[in-house]
Amino acid sequence: MTSKIGVDVSRIDALDKVTGKALFPADLMSSDMLHMKILFAGRPHARVRSIDVGKAESCPGVIAILTASDVPVNEYGLINCDQPVLVGPGSNKKGADTARFVGDQIALVVAETEEAAIKARDDILVDWVDLPVITDPYEAMKPDAPMLFESRDSNIIKHNKIRAGDVEGAWKNCEVIVESIYHTPWQEHAYLQPEAGISYIDSDGRITVEVAGQWVHEEQKQIAHALGLTVDQVRVIHPAIGGAFGGREDVSVQIVLALASWHLHERGISRPVKIVWSREESILGHHKRHPYNIHAKWGAASDGSILAAEVKMVADAGAYEYTSAKVLGNATLQSTGPYDIPNVSVDAYAVYTNNVPSGAFRGFGGPQGAFAAESQVNKLADKLGIDVVEMRRRNLISDGSIGQFKSVYPEGVTIRQVVEECADRSNWPITQVDNSLPSNIRKGYGFACALKNVGFSFGFPEECWAKVELHGGSEIERVVLHHAGAECGQGAHTVFVQMTAEACGVPIECIQLEAADSALTKNSGSASASRLTFMAGNSIRGAVDLALENWQSEERPAIGEYKFVPRQTTALDTETGECDPNITYGYVAQRVIVEVDIETGHIRVVDVMSVDDVGRAINPIQVAGQIEGAVVQAHGYTLLENLVSRDGYIETAQFSNYLIPTSLDVPERVEAVILEYSDPQGPWGLRGVAEMPFLPYAPALIAAVHDATGIWFDEFPLIPERVLRGIDHSVYGE
Amino acid sequence: MSNKRVVSSTINGQQVEFLTEPQQSLLECLRDTLGLTGSKEGCNDGNCGACSVLINNRLVNACLMLGIEIEGKDVVTVEGLADVHELHPVQEAFVLEDGLQCGYCTPGFIVATKALLDKNANPTEDEIRFWLAGNLCRCTGYDKIVRSVRLASQLMNDAKEGLQ
Repeated sequence: MTSKIGVDVSRIDALDKVTGKALFPADLMSSDMLHMKILFAGRPHARVRSIDVGKAESCPGVIAILTASDVPVNEYGLINCDQPVLVGPGSNKKGADTARFVGDQIALVVAETEEAAIKARDDILVDWVDLPVITDPYEAMKPDAPMLFESRDSNIIKHNKIRAGDVEGAWKNCEVIVESIYHTPWQEHAYLQPEAGISYIDSDGRITVEVAGQWVHEEQKQIAHALGLTVDQVRVIHPAIGGAFGGREDVSVQIVLALASWHLHERGISRPVKIVWSREESILGHHKRHPYNIHAKWGAASDGSILAAEVKMVADAGAYEYTSAKVLGNATLQSTGPYDIPNVSVDAYAVYTNNVPSGAFRGFGGPQGAFAAESQVNKLADKLGIDVVEMRRRNLISDGSIGQFKSVYPEGVTIRQVVEECADRSNWPITQVDNSLPSNIRKGYGFACALKNVGFSFGFPEECWAKVELHGGSEIERVVLHHAGAECGQGAHTVFVQMTAEACGVPIECIQLEAADSALTKNSGSASASRLTFMAGNSIRGAVDLALENWQSEERPAIGEYKFVPRQTTALDTETGECDPNITYGYVAQRVIVEVDIETGHIRVVDVMSVDDVGRAINPIQVAGQIEGAVVQAHGYTLLENLVSRDGYIETAQFSNYLIPTSLDVPERVEAVILEYSDPQGPWGLRGVAEMPFLPYAPALIAAVHDATGIWFDEFPLIPERVLRGIDHSVYGE
Repeated sequence: MSNKRVVSSTINGQQVEFLTEPQQSLLECLRDTLGLTGSKEGCNDGNCGACSVLINNRLVNACLMLGIEIEGKDVVTVEGLADVHELHPVQEAFVLEDGLQCGYCTPGFIVATKALLDKNANPTEDEIRFWLAGNLCRCTGYDKIVRSVRLASQLMNDAKEGLQ
């Protein structure tokens, strides 16, 4: 029988998506539905003294206006319930009367039409008391800084420490020391589908929310918590999801939709409620990639061995915790890269400010840490006069390496293989000079590599559930897979079907998928951390094995239900950082070629090679799509995307001023090279791929710009103004 | 109170009459009044192209036109491309080349691609990239979309040759 994995299979949702039949949340319509709009705070830090909804309630078409006092348990959060569902007085949570960023939600208006809801929303009168606004995380860390939360004595959410070896003692043995301060910017997810959803009471009496998310069971749990209900009273369904990239890992409209339906239900109104955010509401209303300040001091011996790394990093977490503590863990790990460094000291902080909250975004702290680490390695190599690939050969981890966490890396370390393959294929070191270029164009070559964890890290509970039903008589004729994993566009559902067909030994056409509905599935975890194919594959294999056993005992349909639990990771020791941080990793190396126009500051990326070890490519064309897509998102991050926030107000909340790459703004050529070194824990040996190719791009590109111009940029995006300023400084001095 | 007007036009080959407020965008009319939800709202200010439709064979963003402006005109949306039995070659090409991920931008890209290939049966890569620069995609990185357009061009040319 031919294999169902390792082959290019068309997406199972492709037909619906090319014909316009696929239904995204905003496409869900019902003739009797009501429309909801949200009043946002619009102020970065202010207390609500009172809310007057009198005038708004008398607007024609208004059905309900809900404020903080209508929320049963007025708090939510993925890790820490520090954010009010609705900000205002009269709720049961202390501090819930204070807006801490412009996107805090104040009131919900439910009306017959969207226009009526907007009109009434604008008639709500809020009596505000402005509070001191703090937007600089370094200011926020000071002991005498104004506190965002009265209940806390510090704005520091989390401090991670690593203490390995003796950094202070190591400096004297270093031939060169490189010290730099890096700054990485915010990044907006800019998925094309703004937040939207519809809620109603289903035929079993459950509050049901159809919405684009990344983890139905977590969303269900958060809704139940805020409404004071049991999870069984809440149902979450994902229809087609218009991109996520981490931006839907924290909830947006889920709880407020459920709250509105619950409230109407209590009043005897059984009409669905729909909400659709505008692009501006989306950009103001959901979290961003964390900006990081990273102070890195690294030293190496004359032979290139890196002897010590000292890193101090501060992440602007914004107004609420979201996943900041977890992102910080990953940035802590990434800040010294995939290198064997005997002496390491890291201090990493995530800090509350009155900026938009920061949270999950493809790479999850990895791009920030990797930018600093890879730039440090490239600078050390430059100072020592050692080629950057050779420099890596002398320092990279391999199987058996014990890193800064004093635990052995999971078996299957292939960073050396990806680096060698990338160097080989790009004929590194590249020495030829291109004499055909005009005098204002400088060409440069850059190299970087990275590792990225597969699955949740640092002790966060990890599990994935699947159920398989085998139908038929003497032969298996039909297989039903139940799985909660979210299809955000990455192709998860297609590879679920492929893996089920492979495990059952039946054609792909025999597989029927029941997915992403909390009423039909148990917890499969989120579409995040490059984990879903890995975890789902393991859960599907387990379920199919059990179902096949039952098939042998003549059970019809034969059912197998299985919860995959990978090996347990552990949290950082608070003093030394010792831990077993991750289940396993994927590895990547990239070579980037640029042409810099030193008169205009414009950077043209001519060629990118991305070499990724994915363990096993279940669907190679989709894997290549992940690599190409990640490279282009990272390209936007490095060159183009410039989120401007002033005093807590976001000034770039449209696509006309927050620019993401178009088909003309991308690298001229991206070559995705897929390597398949089996991961011992992966189903069919697979690892993950979604995030890895994002990580080395900024440092590789910036190394190429250095190669072209002789200038190290420690801050990006490299918009032309910044590039020109850098060139001017290097020519004319500060 | 209502200022609603009756608009009659041809949408996806069918004669249609519908009511619209004068200030309603064509996108709102298509999605909310006519139930044609294939055209998507991504920005509502003409920057993303997710609502691309053809009006008298010209490519426009439906969010930037008023519903009343299509009086007497011929509108094609993504729903009008495939016939009952088979996909339009542009749709087929996007499936074969994996030119989509989340799919939210896909209807806009498919309509824009049809508009391009109707004008220029053999576009170069530069012409494809230039033409599609009004459509944003956040998932694919565009390479597979460009490949889809090239395959669509080939499929459409093959079909024409087959007819001759």
